[in-house]
Amino acid sequence: MIPIFNRLFVMTLRVLNQLRRDKRFLAISTLFPMIIIYFIKVVFDVLASPSFNISTYIVPYAAFIVHFITFILTAIVLVRERTAGTMAQMFVSGYQQIEIIIGYLVAYTVLATLQSLLVLLELNWLFDLGFSSIQMTSMYLVMWLLAIISMAIGMLVSNFARNEGQVFPFIPLVILSVILSGIIVPVEKLPDWAQVLSYLTPLYYANEILQELIRGGTLMDSKLNLLILPLYGLVVVAMVAISLREKD
Amino acid sequence: MINLFPYFPEKISDFMDKSESILIKDLEKDFGKLKALKDINLTIAIGQIYGLLGPNGAGKTTLIRLLIGATKPSKGNISVLGYNPFRQKAFVRSQIGYMPQSPALYEDLSARENIHFFGYAHRNENFSKRIDEVIAFVGLSNRANDQVYKFSGGMKQRVSLACALVHQPKILFLDEPTTGIDPKLRQTFWDHFRELTNQGVTILVSTHQMNEAMFCDRLAILHEGVLLADEPPRQLLWKQKAKIKICLENQIEEKVVSNYPQQLPQILQQYGLETDISRIEIEEETLETVVLSLINDHEKQIIQGEEQ
Repeated sequence: MIPIFNRLFVMTLRVLNQLRRDKRFLAISTLFPMIIIYFIKVVFDVLASPSFNISTYIVPYAAFIVHFITFILTAIVLVRERTAGTMAQMFVSGYQQIEIIIGYLVAYTVLATLQSLLVLLELNWLFDLGFSSIQMTSMYLVMWLLAIISMAIGMLVSNFARNEGQVFPFIPLVILSVILSGIIVPVEKLPDWAQVLSYLTPLYYANEILQELIRGGTLMDSKLNLLILPLYGLVVVAMVAISLREKD
Repeated sequence: MINLFPYFPEKISDFMDKSESILIKDLEKDFGKLKALKDINLTIAIGQIYGLLGPNGAGKTTLIRLLIGATKPSKGNISVLGYNPFRQKAFVRSQIGYMPQSPALYEDLSARENIHFFGYAHRNENFSKRIDEVIAFVGLSNRANDQVYKFSGGMKQRVSLACALVHQPKILFLDEPTTGIDPKLRQTFWDHFRELTNQGVTILVSTHQMNEAMFCDRLAILHEGVLLADEPPRQLLWKQKAKIKICLENQIEEKVVSNYPQQLPQILQQYGLETDISRIEIEEETLETVVLSLINDHEKQIIQGEEQ
């Protein structure tokens, strides 16, 4: 095999091994979104009104929760690599930054696959969504893509934080992005200048696709957004690759 | 324009002696206004344990980071095994091992998994056999499959050393390898280091433990980025004044001399062969006083320099 693939494999395996052992991390990344969704269900039950179609909101909400938790956890894990010195040690030991990035992405994609699946199954069970299996699979794909992009954003943020604490100032940005994305209020209702900002958040594209699916459309109806979402991810990964450096 | 990236020839072994593993010429490193290293010139021979001694903030870690190519020199040249560690990073790193000040390990992984991961990119043939070898070498054979978070500080240091050794490097860089470990383990570490140099490995070790510094073949003393001395530790001691007490039949004569290994025979010659000398006591300065006096002198120089 080509050496880089060997090393990538070892890198991925190492991250997966760590994931497997870190029960707390696994619990936070899979159970937390599910618990939050359960409580959203409780809240919706209290506020229920006949004119209110819950499924329009709950799937994008869940997507946001997955996005948020994945982002924070990835950022913190990678900052921890820096503060523990293992990041520097990886460089000295001969790993390339691209191997570190892809190794992490591949390993965490395994986690995202599981996480998105659990969340969607829970949604279907709690809220009786009543979508077709094709719709559900399509929604799954969107959530899964968004989770991977969230990891990439987490990695990017980690490059600009010297310790775990410096990740926290980025949290309001993510919260803001949920308002800008159109999940809570339609983007058209935002001031014009703010609508431009909507395009900066991956949640916007994910939400557009999800809304189309909820209205009964198929993925084919959101070709453009479906193209933009992975491209967005690639751009972020490229930015990570540029900014992930062995620091002075 | 100031040339921040001095041109460096492909391989510089032509001006390097075959017995040298590290060569540093006119090296300077600035971090903004702070001059971390000033005008460093050093040669380190193959198979030596070379000690870097100095107080915190002296520039020891910066020097090591320059040598492993983690940061770029502001001025001057560095050659590691005949290669430029910054420009030819990938190659140089396959030939060196680096043990950081505090163990950089994955706590959730076992000792063996850590060693496998950190050694993999530069692995040699028979990699898994080599892993067993280094685990035995650092004395962790019966704990190798335990997760690192269960380990004591000293055991983590041993895993860290094994990680630095697994790809059979030609040069080992050890940044304060024995900080916070007990005297017995420290002795074991130094036995390991000696064993490695006997196999032809060059070791550069930074420390601020004086008793450790005495084990080095050669010692560089750094203070505020300036190299104050570069000598075998014994010679450093001899340079300082030593008090010699010569006990004769009915009196004790005291003399204060520097470089006593050379001075003492001359003194004894004065007494002639017939004199009955019952004992000779030599009170050497300790390395600590020698180093501190060098540092104090340097500090005075700095203050004088500022006054002028």
